[in-house]
Amino acid sequence: MSRETSRRGRRPVGALQRREARTAYLFVLPQVIGLVVFIGVPLVASLGYSFTHWDLIAPEPTLVGLDNWRALLEDPRIPAVLWNTVRFILLGTTSFLLFSMIAALVTFTPRRFVGLYRAVVFLPYVLSQIAVGVVWRWMFNTESGPITTALEAVGIPSPDWLLDPATAMLSIAIMTTWQGIGYGLTLFIAGLQGVPTPVIEAARIDGANAFQRFVRITLPLISPTVLFLTVTSLIGALQLFDPVVAMTSSGAGVAAAGGPDNSTRTIVLYMYNQLFNLNEAKSGLGYAAAIAWMLALLTFVITAVQFAIARRTVYYEGQDAGVPRLRRARKERTAR
Amino acid sequence: MTAYAEAVAADARADLDRPLLAPPRRTGTRRLPGTVAYHGLMIVVVALYILPVVWAFSMSLRTNANMFDADQLIPHPVTFEHYENLFRILPDFWRYFLNTSVIAVTGTLGTLVSSSLAGYAMARFRFAGRNVLLVLLLLTLMVPGQATLIPQYVWFRDLGWLNTPLPIIVPMLFGSAFASFFFRQFFLTLPRELEAAAAIDGAGPWRTFVQIIAPNSGPAFLALGLLTFVQLWNSFFVNSVYLTTQDSWVLTQALQSMVGRYNSQYGEIMAGVTLVSLPVIIGYLIFQRWIVRGIALSGLAN
Repeated sequence: MSRETSRRGRRPVGALQRREARTAYLFVLPQVIGLVVFIGVPLVASLGYSFTHWDLIAPEPTLVGLDNWRALLEDPRIPAVLWNTVRFILLGTTSFLLFSMIAALVTFTPRRFVGLYRAVVFLPYVLSQIAVGVVWRWMFNTESGPITTALEAVGIPSPDWLLDPATAMLSIAIMTTWQGIGYGLTLFIAGLQGVPTPVIEAARIDGANAFQRFVRITLPLISPTVLFLTVTSLIGALQLFDPVVAMTSSGAGVAAAGGPDNSTRTIVLYMYNQLFNLNEAKSGLGYAAAIAWMLALLTFVITAVQFAIARRTVYYEGQDAGVPRLRRARKERTAR
Repeated sequence: MTAYAEAVAADARADLDRPLLAPPRRTGTRRLPGTVAYHGLMIVVVALYILPVVWAFSMSLRTNANMFDADQLIPHPVTFEHYENLFRILPDFWRYFLNTSVIAVTGTLGTLVSSSLAGYAMARFRFAGRNVLLVLLLLTLMVPGQATLIPQYVWFRDLGWLNTPLPIIVPMLFGSAFASFFFRQFFLTLPRELEAAAAIDGAGPWRTFVQIIAPNSGPAFLALGLLTFVQLWNSFFVNSVYLTTQDSWVLTQALQSMVGRYNSQYGEIMAGVTLVSLPVIIGYLIFQRWIVRGIALSGLAN
């Protein structure tokens, strides 16, 4: 009987409903204030600052119109940092997604110790990127680091890793992949648990081999997880900062990171240096704001493109695109 | 709480306590070569994950003469000189520890309170603007923190808050979009009977939330709390913007400062890595199940 009264449309309308709404507004008030004060207003204000020049020393910013945006288009360092980000996506984000998927498929089948294997691979995810970066900086050390030592022991000439502009970003990508697989693996396993085994079994009986079963059945069924991980890992890749600082800074801290030869300087690192006028010719808070907004626009466009592709390729069971699995779980529970 | 509410809650809990990543029962028999290959591969993978961690810890206990010897995985002789040196190089180390703890604890508590309230309202109450709020929260997940950082930096500077934990803590007190969405998804899975039972008891919405809903949502609070805490404990970028004087630093900044200045002193650097990581590693060993559950649940946003 209690379920009946809580059903939509059965509630008394009027005063009681207004009271419910009033309570609701009080509940969401802190989050709404946070949304407005710490996201909405600053996002607009940031755009405002991008039309000004300010070194943070003068009392007021001076309006310079589109100067910063024009400079953004002419600055040869912008294509350079964008290219560095693209290289990180190609090396790091791709391998993160690929290896997470492989790790999930390999450890999905129940076997002895599988829980332990997953737990070990997940461990680095809870560690600081600075701490992990510092350790991997040692791993890639070309004089006495374990990777170089191991490669030379088996007769393979070791690259110069973080010292060579050609391999520095690869080194960072290896580190972030190593650290991130446990996270990707966990989400893929959660996705795989939603795949009904009878469907796979039916395909097996119909003669589909393991590869066909994966591509035709498993992959479409876990496509929401693929989409989620692709979207979030790309957003993260565009904001790459901490690992670069931990692995490439020398002497003067954050300002000197991004080497060798600026081959690992990312969008956020460049913005940071502009904000604090560190070692940059064209500087200032206004220009940093323009870079930050360029980053936001890039993120919006890339995410929108992914959702547009997803509209045609991602499969949601029952087309319940919002919260399919949880809602289904609830239905099952109330049906009991 | 009535017996009925108790029973409903127990039912809900039983479902939530099912270990999410625990392997299901083993089925059938397997061929031996496959099993050997599988575990052989896994041992290599485990070594790839354990060795760097153990190696770093081991280096922090080696003498400088033995620092680069391959047979020093278990250091002999063991020395604590690098830890002593670390506290000489960074005499305020415990202060950074305290600064980091203050930010991580208050930030986590603030987020839990504000976001659980918002998440509950979005899951259960009907009010004008509910869907708008939900969409805005989801859109917020796309906004890079850097794009909102600069004006906040100017405000906090004008307030005289630079080099205090306030610029990091205060925004967290108003919840985070991710956390609110996470709580909404979680509360949707709770049975409506909980509220119905509370209504029979005559509880209003606030009492229902505090006395019935929150106590029965332990897993969600724990999972999200741990995730937020770890994130704050490990964060570097935002701290490096707001905390520039040395006595306001957090641990990650202190560690980073050593890399620049004491590049060749691996013993001291690895001692720093060990001390910064140890609290999270211990926490992970205790709460592993809940952290992993939090991650898995967060993926359900898709």
